[in-house]
Amino acid sequence: MVLLAKAALGLGGALVAVGAYTFHEGVIRVDVDEFRAGGSHVHMWVPAAVVPMTMHFVPKHNLCDAARDAREFLPVAHALFKELEKFPDAELVEVKDGEQHARIRTQGGKLQIDVDDPNEKVHVLVPLSTVDDIVGQLEDSAPGA
Amino acid sequence: MSTFHRGLTTKAMLAIAPALLFAPAGVLAQASNTQAKAAQSTSSEKGERWLHVRVICSDGKGDTVRVNVPLELAEKVLPAVNHDRLHNGKVRIDNSEINDVDLRTVMEAVRSAKDGEYVTVQGDANDVRVAKEGNHLIVHVVDKGRSKKSQVEVKVPMKVVEALLSAGKDELDLVAALHALSTQGDVELVSVKDSENTVKVWLDSKNVAD
Repeated sequence: MVLLAKAALGLGGALVAVGAYTFHEGVIRVDVDEFRAGGSHVHMWVPAAVVPMTMHFVPKHNLCDAARDAREFLPVAHALFKELEKFPDAELVEVKDGEQHARIRTQGGKLQIDVDDPNEKVHVLVPLSTVDDIVGQLEDSAPGA
Repeated sequence: MSTFHRGLTTKAMLAIAPALLFAPAGVLAQASNTQAKAAQSTSSEKGERWLHVRVICSDGKGDTVRVNVPLELAEKVLPAVNHDRLHNGKVRIDNSEINDVDLRTVMEAVRSAKDGEYVTVQGDANDVRVAKEGNHLIVHVVDKGRSKKSQVEVKVPMKVVEALLSAGKDELDLVAALHALSTQGDVELVSVKDSENTVKVWLDSKNVAD
């Protein structure tokens, strides 16, 4: 029984550490609903900490290709996401066009993108630090970096 | 350790483990609450200046575009954009585009001149008025030529114009202009009104558009 308790405490402690790290880094949330026959419905919650770690397992030539394609935008994206973290929550862009509604805003250190359309709804919530990490890793993978 | 105490310790450990497990969720919920409260604030606490753009289509559908950008953010990001004629926060302008007019000399003349109306054109197609009022350069254009009348009003602080022209020859320094703009008070920079659209560009300390 004591052994079981020690194992439970050890497992609990480890889970607490993992849980705390995960929640500290935040969660990436993606919701996609297509309102048509056979339309896809994707609802995904992913710990943000997983993404930069997963990037290390992406084949180097694939990262290199992506970095080359996005080379022009990477410094802008890096500067943008790094700076955005320093500002209070704000609605950066809002577009209403008939029944379509798109919104990009920052909320609690996360970038929130909402697109509402009669045919589909897309909601993305991603921590700014995660986006900055990804951009940084892409910059490091760029040819000649 | 007696059997009683051992049992008690075991139970306590088993109870603590799940409690610890759910602790981060509680902390997260509290943090979210605090963030939600912080988000309710519309006026920037650090005195940041925000540039707002609002476009409203008056076609009955209520189509709108709203953009809110902190000036400091634009100042930091702009130098990273290197595309076409924009490099390091400066835009290169062809000499041919301004017909060999020395913009710097013209602006220096306007800056040192007294307030007044410099250009007034009244025609069948357009009415144009360029004036200097209280350290602001004002351009007012009424387009009468089209079937639908439109009105454009631009009001730029002189310091911003000076900063814009502070770069080398044939260049406009956008970053310097943004920096100069950040030192100005609340001001409506551009206003365009016609029968189809209303466009407004303004500067204030709020992180939301009105």
